[in-house]
Amino acid sequence: MSYKERSIWVSLAITIYIWFNYFSTIYHSVQSQNLTISIMQSALLSVVIMTVVLEILHHIVIAIIDNKNANYDEDERDKKIALLGANNAYYILSFTTIVAVVHLLFPFMSHHIEALINLPNEYVIINIIIIGALIAEISKFATQVFYYRKGF
Amino acid sequence: MSKKITNNIRRLRFNNDEMTQQMLADVVGVSRQTIVAIEKDKYSPSLEVAFKIAEFFQEPLDTVFQYK
Repeated sequence: MSYKERSIWVSLAITIYIWFNYFSTIYHSVQSQNLTISIMQSALLSVVIMTVVLEILHHIVIAIIDNKNANYDEDERDKKIALLGANNAYYILSFTTIVAVVHLLFPFMSHHIEALINLPNEYVIINIIIIGALIAEISKFATQVFYYRKGF
Repeated sequence: MSKKITNNIRRLRFNNDEMTQQMLADVVGVSRQTIVAIEKDKYSPSLEVAFKIAEFFQEPLDTVFQYK
């Protein structure tokens, strides 16, 4: 497994772990009907801090384990695979934008969601964007791993 | 049946004092994994890399790579 592929696997795991924590916090707050803006803010702050800390740790650990390739520059194949991943992520982000706009323009279509999570509309939109961005990010990593394994 | 790009890089390396994939990768400026992928026909390199490989082995491009 190449340095780049290993790095992508770790980033994928970190992304899933961090956002699983975020959504489980939100889900449990919704279940116990105490989801507030401050809980969401602190959950988002934890995501930012954990992402920065874990990504720094990830690069330090991988550089120690595979120190020969620590200064590895992407070659043309890495760049093409990164582009394929970004391409898929773009489609999902575009779809997310449409969903967020539809939610804003036609709020009656998602009344039941707002009634369920009891948050101001802008926080519902934030979560729609977060879910879309998360799926896009996971799709980007998954596409890259797929092409590293399968070739193209 | 669709055509694909194949190559003789493995044989050329062998005939070139059993050159390693890493040595060839360093010469053409890609990672060893990219050379592995090219040899297994899992990745078609850019024209630039293809020419660099052919130039290194001092062979015409169509001796190193085939489209069939």
